Amino acid sequence: MNKICKFFLKVFAIVFVANAALFAVFFFDLDGKLLFNVVEPFLKKHYDDMDRKDTLKTPYNIDEFPKYDYHS
Amino acid sequence: MAKKSVTKALKDFWYGKPHTAAEGGRRLGDLHEDKTHLYKHREWRGVKDTMYYFYNIWLYNYIFMVKDIMVMHGPITFAKGLWRYRWVGQTYLPVLHWFDRGLEGMRGEAMRASAWHYRAMVSTTIRQFQRMFAADTRLHGGRQNELYKRTIAHNETVWGGVFYPWDGEIQNVPLEMIPYFVTCHVNSHTVLNYIDAVQSIGLPGDPCPMCQAESGIFVLDDVPDYAPAVITCNEACDASVSTSTLQDWFFDKPLFSLPMPMLFDDPLVKKYVMREIEELWKFVEDQYGIPFSWEKLTKKLELQNELQRFEWEKWEVAAKSDYYPINGVAQALYRIYQTQYGDWEIWHVTDKKVRKILEKCVSKKINSFPQTRHRVIAWSCAPLYYSNWCTWAYNCWGLNVIINMDSLMFDMEIRTDSYEHTLEDMAQYHMWAPMRRMAVGGMHHMFELWDYMKRFNCDMVAMYDQLQCKGVQGLHGLFEDEFRKRDIKAFWIPHALPDSRTVSRAEIRRLINDYMSTVMHEEPLDPSLLDFDDSMTW
Amino acid sequence: MKDLKHLIYFENLLQEANNELVQQAKKDGKRAIGYTCYFMPEVLLDLPGCFSVRLRAPRCTSPDIATYYMSARVCHYARSLMERALEGGYNFLDAQMATETCTATCRFQEHLQQKHLDSVDDMRIIDNDDFFCEFSDVPFKNNEISYQHYATQLKAHVLQPLHEHFGIDISDEAIRKAVEQQNEVSRLINEIGDYRKLDNPTITGYEFHVIQLCSLACPKYLILPYLRETAEELKTREPDLKKEFRCKVLLAGSENDDPDFTKLVESCGARVVCDRYCYGAVESRQIIDLPEGVDPVYAIAKHYLSSSNCPRFMPQDEMRARKKRIAELAKEYHADGVIIASNKFCEYWSYERVIDTVILKRDFGLPVCSIEKEYINTASGQLRTRFQAFVESIEIKHIQEGK
Repeated sequence: MNKICKFFLKVFAIVFVANAALFAVFFFDLDGKLLFNVVEPFLKKHYDDMDRKDTLKTPYNIDEFPKYDYHS
Repeated sequence: MAKKSVTKALKDFWYGKPHTAAEGGRRLGDLHEDKTHLYKHREWRGVKDTMYYFYNIWLYNYIFMVKDIMVMHGPITFAKGLWRYRWVGQTYLPVLHWFDRGLEGMRGEAMRASAWHYRAMVSTTIRQFQRMFAADTRLHGGRQNELYKRTIAHNETVWGGVFYPWDGEIQNVPLEMIPYFVTCHVNSHTVLNYIDAVQSIGLPGDPCPMCQAESGIFVLDDVPDYAPAVITCNEACDASVSTSTLQDWFFDKPLFSLPMPMLFDDPLVKKYVMREIEELWKFVEDQYGIPFSWEKLTKKLELQNELQRFEWEKWEVAAKSDYYPINGVAQALYRIYQTQYGDWEIWHVTDKKVRKILEKCVSKKINSFPQTRHRVIAWSCAPLYYSNWCTWAYNCWGLNVIINMDSLMFDMEIRTDSYEHTLEDMAQYHMWAPMRRMAVGGMHHMFELWDYMKRFNCDMVAMYDQLQCKGVQGLHGLFEDEFRKRDIKAFWIPHALPDSRTVSRAEIRRLINDYMSTVMHEEPLDPSLLDFDDSMTW
Repeated sequence: MKDLKHLIYFENLLQEANNELVQQAKKDGKRAIGYTCYFMPEVLLDLPGCFSVRLRAPRCTSPDIATYYMSARVCHYARSLMERALEGGYNFLDAQMATETCTATCRFQEHLQQKHLDSVDDMRIIDNDDFFCEFSDVPFKNNEISYQHYATQLKAHVLQPLHEHFGIDISDEAIRKAVEQQNEVSRLINEIGDYRKLDNPTITGYEFHVIQLCSLACPKYLILPYLRETAEELKTREPDLKKEFRCKVLLAGSENDDPDFTKLVESCGARVVCDRYCYGAVESRQIIDLPEGVDPVYAIAKHYLSSSNCPRFMPQDEMRARKKRIAELAKEYHADGVIIASNKFCEYWSYERVIDTVILKRDFGLPVCSIEKEYINTASGQLRTRFQAFVESIEIKHIQEGK
């Protein structure tokens, strides 16, 4: 009985602590602060540093595509 | 005295602080950090609403964002896409802050109903970008997989309904809706890269900034290669036509142009569009080898009609009572997303939930916006980086945006009783595309404003002034004349759609503040919201 | 070169929309029909009993009232037209045949339209009791469906109203007659323009620009004698012994009805030998073919849709082919380079200019000068610098190539 009680108490405690922690994250906007101050700058740097194709070198084949005319 | 303040503190704790300064209000402006507009702490809305927001909005949406990704092509696909494309990484992570901005100050049913709209948009967005990534040859070593072969790309102003005949066989994914349009609402920083990119190759700064951004994602090579063919369209304006030209160069795939006459009142033009829609269907059959299905088309159209019928019920409540529980930004974004993208299961699920809330509000006479001083109709195209201005306007001034132009454009059901009728209505629907029917589609349609003002029982106009929209700019003076002649209370909101640098959010607020204090001689409900610096915010 | 006999007369005709020949035609009892865009077939407005006037707003540098109505962020051309209309400069018009071919001119023409609606008061800008404005829908494609649609539009929104309002004869025979007249104008303009293909052209780009504009802004039957005489005169016109130019260029781009702009380019050492822009002759002076047994309105609709190189067209093959056409024109007219000029706020040409600037240079080896201009170019200093640099760059290229 004690074991079961202890187990449920433990589960309850874990759920409670998890909830409280999550609520703290929510209430103090820790998710926003993390994303704004850490994640976004990191990703931004990654995207800025990324090698990108020079799209102006994309071929422009004049006669590559037909006239799509089906005479409906 | 102490007892009084303890009672008030307990009351504030239980119910949340009251709205107005006169009642010792909540001072929402004090919650924000300077510049970033992050929260020092999120708003305490009373026990019930705070817990609802925490569990049913914040936690629920984080969990379901993860779940959506797991169910729709999995986390690896997402991770690959996130690492490759700026618009997903930089934008979609702060999505809960987008909720916060739109739902700020909302309580009770308004908070609940509006949040469901947001949830639907997030889910649809995830579904689309996950499909893009799953089919993307760039993320699969150049391989064209089965999903690639069954996905069709199209300009975001091509109504998704034209692809209903291939429901379940070919998935349509708009080219720009996710990489550009939705991103601006969630994180307005991202789009600036694209605007700068297209200007760096010589485009002047004056064409419509939406089209600039739509071109810029191609210039920056930030568009997944997820489909073998593309459908483009001239909607909404001249710059959209030209954007197609630039996109065609960089995408370099078979492309079908679906032209939509600009002036759509002439019955002769409808016949022309009907034939062009049939041309499009033949193109799809030709490119994908999958036959057109009339059954699928009508089945989906009937589902879409269901959505329209519920929208009409919503409008009825909004127009004739004070019990409408959806705020201005949720109404506008959900409606335009749903009508433009076309029918999808999540819209029905959401409408069911919202119906329940709506019915409760009507039957129990719940006024979700009790501090309304003016019923506002918002007209023309809205600033994408500040679509939540109306949440601020309600909190600060009691300006309740009841309805907006974007919501009203697709005001019709589509008949499914015969092929001719269906095609005719589809043509009509498509010609009433976003930013078309009441922006560039014949000037008298823009002036339908007066009728809708009356219909929705509004006493004030928020007139969007998209500085680079030639269609609206070309009518500027006539609006001024008519506002004066009709003695209509109207304020202008200048903006440049996605580009927050042209007219800042602070500038928009200042203009509204000036109008409300100097013309209307009113005092703010919440003075803490009058002036704050959110220049760096998402 | 010896001055052209009628050049000053032509120049004077371009000072006002309601010019001497327009006034004469009105006195002759003909109806003046205004239009702005190539896509409104001028030939249908030149039916017996009426005449076409492609609207211009010469010398309009400060469109203040139009700016109130249309804001400062709309193309200067559309605003200038609006200003001129508000000033009463188009009161001679009996009708405006409008097209929604670009947003700015559409809005201008919508202001002219009698609205008869509760939604907005009628401004009655054109002070003429007979005046009406009618819109036609111009397709964005040049396929069979579009030809048919356009022909239907022209019948419903051009021919029928002209007949109903003014009793204009819209029979096939009358249309054929108008086509004959237009073809004569086109043949003469082409004959005059072909002198620009000579190694040392016997006509300047400026002169040609003036003549071409007169053919658009004046009643055809009244300008024809002058065109005939000028064509005759050019047969014996001797070029200057020493070339007055350092290179030849093709001028492409958006709306341009300002001959002084061409003069500016030429004053920098270039000779404008081809005019591939709105109001230019490349498209508008092509011969209209009316095959026997074919509905003439359909043939005209097809002609206008298939001859245009407007960036408004959006079928994929067409978007791409028009770049090649510029290169072909440059070859045909022996142009050393291309100037692509877009009007500020012209969205079609802003984008087209970007692509042309890259593709013509990269894929066709043509030097390109890409500029943005106003409708009336009062601030020409910056442009002059650009053109001078462009001419020099072409000269350097020639030296490097050993020419």
